[in-house]
Amino acid sequence: MSADTNNRSAPSGAALPEAYWQSAFTESWGVLSRHTIGRIGMILLGLFALMALASFIPPLIDPIYNPMSGVDPIISYTSGPSWRHWLGTDFIGRDIFSQLLAGARIAFMVGISAAFMSIFLGTAIGMLAGYSGRWGDTLLMRLADMIMVMPTLLVLLVMAALFGQLNIWTIVLLIALFRWPGVARVIRSQTLTLKHRPFIESARIAGASHLRILVRHILPNVLPLALLYMSFRVTSAIIIEAALAFLGFGDPGTVSWGMMLQWVWKTGHMFQAPYWLLPPGICISLLTLAFYMLGRAMEEVLDPRMRREDPEE
Amino acid sequence: MMSLNRYILRRLIEIGISFFVILTLLFFLFHLAPGDPVARMVNPNLSAEDEARLIAHMGLDLPLGQQYLRFVGNFFTGEFGVSFHYGQPVAEIIADRLPNTILLFTTAVILSALAGVWLGKIVAWRKGQPLDTAVTIGALVCHTLFLPWIAMLMIWLFGYRWGWFPITGMISPEIWIDPHSGWASKGLDILYHMVLPLLTLFLVHFGSYLLIMRSSMLETLGEDYIYTARAKGLPEKVIRDHHASPNAALPVITSVGLSLAFSINGGALTEKVFSWPGIGRELVSAVSYNDYPLALTCFLLIAAVVLAANLVVDVMYAFLDPRIRY
Repeated sequence: MSADTNNRSAPSGAALPEAYWQSAFTESWGVLSRHTIGRIGMILLGLFALMALASFIPPLIDPIYNPMSGVDPIISYTSGPSWRHWLGTDFIGRDIFSQLLAGARIAFMVGISAAFMSIFLGTAIGMLAGYSGRWGDTLLMRLADMIMVMPTLLVLLVMAALFGQLNIWTIVLLIALFRWPGVARVIRSQTLTLKHRPFIESARIAGASHLRILVRHILPNVLPLALLYMSFRVTSAIIIEAALAFLGFGDPGTVSWGMMLQWVWKTGHMFQAPYWLLPPGICISLLTLAFYMLGRAMEEVLDPRMRREDPEE
Repeated sequence: MMSLNRYILRRLIEIGISFFVILTLLFFLFHLAPGDPVARMVNPNLSAEDEARLIAHMGLDLPLGQQYLRFVGNFFTGEFGVSFHYGQPVAEIIADRLPNTILLFTTAVILSALAGVWLGKIVAWRKGQPLDTAVTIGALVCHTLFLPWIAMLMIWLFGYRWGWFPITGMISPEIWIDPHSGWASKGLDILYHMVLPLLTLFLVHFGSYLLIMRSSMLETLGEDYIYTARAKGLPEKVIRDHHASPNAALPVITSVGLSLAFSINGGALTEKVFSWPGIGRELVSAVSYNDYPLALTCFLLIAAVVLAANLVVDVMYAFLDPRIRY
């Protein structure tokens, strides 16, 4: 845990020049693109990004291709793949292919925004805990331990029970609120090792405020580590949202892959319509695989010695 | 072992506090949520008279502070209320479902951890060879498979298409009603129903345990005592199985504890898709039926189990690794 993540020596830690970040980026990119697993991950991600972008096209061609409201006037039931509907239609005749594309957009949106928020929370709380020490540290870390062992999906289910239908942004926010502790723990231990380094001491002697020390001197040093967790958090957010939608507690106004699976399952088409059952599941599994592979590759790029302690989700 | 006892005591106190915080948060969420908290605890189908009796019995007419004490007290004395959906005390439902969950879940976790350790050990030994690459990528794929989907695929393929295994439930009623069937056929019947849910959970867990074992094994192989063992001229198999792998398996045990929350999400999804009569399925259904007493109790019970299991894992770790001292 005390691993120093910068495998090139950071210039005195404080306010890193832009050139440092640039060289760090090109170097990481170089290693990443040579890493087999990282490369597979990036190619997959690229494909899904294209899908997400393409999701805007079908509804423009013809309103019957609208993933949510598009109903084909001649087909009002589920039908197999055809020229008109590449992957067939769902139980009320909506186009499965355009739903699949829309699902890619939702998955990216949910995954990246939830991951970003949980990284933000985790970094802020971890830095605060590590920097403040004493009871503040104890309190925050006990809280982290407690949240860490809570099964997020079930927590969200209970929230859905109490507050009724959750909309997609509430779901994102809740995922972020329950998925920061892993990041916070790592950032805290990194902050602890930084706290007594000479450059922090000298900043303090020079009269820098706590806030300035945290933001200007500690943050740049823990940020790479925090970003490393980004990929894994994206994976977990996508899975949780999909599972929640699958169980029927997703946002009814969005077409997510989990929602598509819920429709197949609930309308009893599971046995008759493999063209409908297969694509959403393949997409969820492959997109999470892509982010997970990217995360693992980045981990090795940033620090080959670092072992993940957080195997989950 | 005095210090271990003190460690356990400290952890127990911590767990107690954590559980209390969860209980309190849930109570306040319950009262903060829009809608009438009384209506949430009382079955809407009851007569006015029964309703008044139940409200008085559960103390729902008391001030909030007293209600809170009552709520905590009720929980610890096993008074969880009456399920709306089943019209049965929640405690009875839980007592009925809990063993099923424990059976499926612990079997899956233990089997997948053992398999992960075994295969992880082998591929780490052959690092960089085609077998290693193939198994590592396979494990990554297994680990990120979307569980409900893989469960549905299993049902579709093995249950429907090929008809090898039953697709829902835990027992075939005809065997259990028949007075002539002995415990052996009943046991086999449960096993038969357990194959698909078990396989689903196994697939999804096994990958992550394998990956952890593999990287831990690779790290262990760089240790000095492995060089010593080699220098002594010990057979490779002995070094792998008796020197390296026992130490390398320790992180897998930690990860079983750390990933428990994740596994329980998966357990609930599996139970739901396969209609396995366990706590997880009960929680999901209770939420759909707005059966608050049952939903809250299932959740609290799962939380308590996760907290306790983490302690068990830590203590086990201390026993298995003599270097750990508290």
